Amino acid sequence: MRTLRAALLGTALAVAATAVAQAQSGPTLRVGMAAQDVGRLDPHFAVSTIDRVVVAWMFNGLVRFKPGSIDPAEIEPDLAERWETSADGRTWTFHLRRGVQFHGGFGELTADDVVFSMRKAGTAATSAFAADFRAFQTVEAVDSHTVRIVLRENVPSLLGIVTNYSGGYIVSRRAAEQRGQDFVRAPIGTGPFALERVTPNQSAELTANAQYFRGAPQIGRISYRFIPSDASRDLAFQNRELDVNYGRADQTWINRTRQLPNTTVDVFEPGELAILNLNTVAPPFNDIRVRQALAHAVNRAELVRFRGQDVTREGQSLVPRGYLGFAQQPLLPHDINRARQLLAEAGHPNGLTVRVIHTQLPEMLNMMQVVQQQLRRAGITLDLQVVEHATFHQQIRQDLSPLVYYSAARFPVADIYLTQFFHGRSIVKTPTAVTNFSHCNQADAQIDAARVSTDINEQRRLWAEAQKILTENICGVPLLETLLVFARRNTVDYGYDLRGSMSLGPLITEQTRLR
Amino acid sequence: VFFFFVRRLLAAVPTLLAVLTLVFVIVRIVPGDPALVILGDQATPEAAAALRERLGLDRPLWTQYVDFVTRALMGDFGTSLVTGRPILDEVAAVLPHTLDLTIASMIFGTAVGVPVGIWAALHRNRAIDVAARILSLLGLSFPVFVSGIFALLLFSLHWRLFPVIGSADLNDLPDRLHKLVLPTVTLGLIMAAYITRVTRSAMLASLSEDYIRTARAKGVPWRRVVWVHGLRNASLPIVTVVGLYVGILLGNSVLTEIVFNRPGLGKIIVGALNQRDYTMLQGLMVIYCFLIVVVNAVTDLLYGVLDPRVQAA
Repeated sequence: MRTLRAALLGTALAVAATAVAQAQSGPTLRVGMAAQDVGRLDPHFAVSTIDRVVVAWMFNGLVRFKPGSIDPAEIEPDLAERWETSADGRTWTFHLRRGVQFHGGFGELTADDVVFSMRKAGTAATSAFAADFRAFQTVEAVDSHTVRIVLRENVPSLLGIVTNYSGGYIVSRRAAEQRGQDFVRAPIGTGPFALERVTPNQSAELTANAQYFRGAPQIGRISYRFIPSDASRDLAFQNRELDVNYGRADQTWINRTRQLPNTTVDVFEPGELAILNLNTVAPPFNDIRVRQALAHAVNRAELVRFRGQDVTREGQSLVPRGYLGFAQQPLLPHDINRARQLLAEAGHPNGLTVRVIHTQLPEMLNMMQVVQQQLRRAGITLDLQVVEHATFHQQIRQDLSPLVYYSAARFPVADIYLTQFFHGRSIVKTPTAVTNFSHCNQADAQIDAARVSTDINEQRRLWAEAQKILTENICGVPLLETLLVFARRNTVDYGYDLRGSMSLGPLITEQTRLR
Repeated sequence: VFFFFVRRLLAAVPTLLAVLTLVFVIVRIVPGDPALVILGDQATPEAAAALRERLGLDRPLWTQYVDFVTRALMGDFGTSLVTGRPILDEVAAVLPHTLDLTIASMIFGTAVGVPVGIWAALHRNRAIDVAARILSLLGLSFPVFVSGIFALLLFSLHWRLFPVIGSADLNDLPDRLHKLVLPTVTLGLIMAAYITRVTRSAMLASLSEDYIRTARAKGVPWRRVVWVHGLRNASLPIVTVVGLYVGILLGNSVLTEIVFNRPGLGKIIVGALNQRDYTMLQGLMVIYCFLIVVVNAVTDLLYGVLDPRVQAA
């Protein structure tokens, strides 16, 4: 019996090895990324763009955004093949696919791995996304392939939390426990590609997972190259040393790259909305007339022309457009005379000077300098204190800047944006702070009510009301939304139409191929 | 020689400790929070505090300091705060690339700089001298991100002789040498410019000495006068400059590394600083200081070889 078992095991391993060898014999996709190195590759710590892009190739969620889309309405099964929810929306039961294998021989995915992953993702010490799981009361394995989640209160999108994004990725319990601290650099998932090695400052090398449950990938390997210099990366792409290149959200770059032979430039969602957040409880912006003056001084159309029509669009509310619950707001029009008049009424007939902390990150600094010029025409002088990026992030959270230029994309549901930027609980320098720099809390009731409502129409109404209150109160001035840009050689076929990607880079799936 | 090295390394311990203490304190004084870098911009103060506790950053500074120094003395530099990878592994992975570039640039710079400097000195104030001086000034004035990109455009894109991505496979010697050419020439030209200027002035000084006149009067062939009597006496300042420059190259080739997409020590140092990766910075500084000490010791040894009076002293 033992001999038979050994023989069977041997055959199975040989078949698996052959399959791996076959999958790895496919072509190598070379992706150039604007970064110096990857950070932590434990998906629950993947917060930067460079990390998010690569973990999306290695991990799955219970459900996933349809490849190429970021529409929550298009979420489809991933590791869970089906799910059901109780009438009150608080109990969710997910039925897992059978036979899904983890990378590196870590065995079949079971409910135990899912429970472990969610508890890990929901714990502050082991995840950067613990706050997303605040409403989770219990996560338990009903049987080996069934998981039940019970919520304390309703959430706007439970599927959004368990999707292939941020804390939703499922890791191997055995690998995480066995590898301990080393798991951050040797993570184990179920995705179409497995991490082979990371060479610091150089690249992350991935190999195809021949046992991937949707079928073996058509690409054998991915070489994810870290090339921080835009000029060098562009030259490498031009020299055919890269197949996919991280692009600059800049019209000149797009126009130039489009002229290269056999090249396609993809511009896709999510858009990062840049907002001028105004501290409404401290001078000078505690006077709404000053805030209104600033809003009149901003010229959004000019900002879009500066950055590029193909890659940016005017902000229309304090939530990015396309997010579930977005409602376009009547923003104050560009009117320099009105701005000057309002400033005079507020006691600043000769204009005013505001000391603002800002980052030296080139793209953010360039935009801020354009805004600075626009405001100067109305008599508002921004005295920019340009600091290094990590310092910027720390100092704005210490409430040291009365005006904060912040650009961000979040999960595409209005709740997240409104909660993090405009809910009283998120006000900076409080124990529950996130990124509310305006100190606004006037729409807390609407945001809270929408979060727990089970009626989507009621939610939409409340979110629209919240945006109206916040916009009228000028808690922030929306500027523009900047989309993501990647270039690829025409030999690369992603296998889907790239309109959006929550991992902030093209998803490489089992269907992606190099022609 | 062995004892000389050991003695020099031991003598460097106080310097090393001073540098370590400075680095330890300075990186912590600079604003910016590694927990925020790791957790991203959606982190709550609660989550950041939990992470700081897990990373041991909440402990009193002196405990962290003692812990770090004790471990460092035992050769354990810990893991990077940001990537979680062992610091020694990170350094070991990039150090060969840094050493390749430093040594190759040094050889190139010296091989070009010394003869050109001598040549210029021998033709003082003539066309050759003026040309050498102008060229060396140009070499000093062109930053790597200009000359490097220019070299890439010409040699990689136009003539397709070298790849743009210069990170080589360390186990593949021809590949390693091939990818070293462009960065070496770019960086080496700057070094050659320095060495040309130093060699020229050192040679001018040495050629006007009495012993040169005596040697010529004795009928020693001019070639021998220049290369043996002149250059040997002019070599001390040249060795000093080369030694200094090698020290600089070890940690400051960051622009060359970025333009030519090579891994390297300089790039890691800048990255660790941007990300407030305290442990990484500390580890890197120890290793960097150690390398500087070694370079300085080798330079001193060379002084002894070139000038027996130094050894006697």
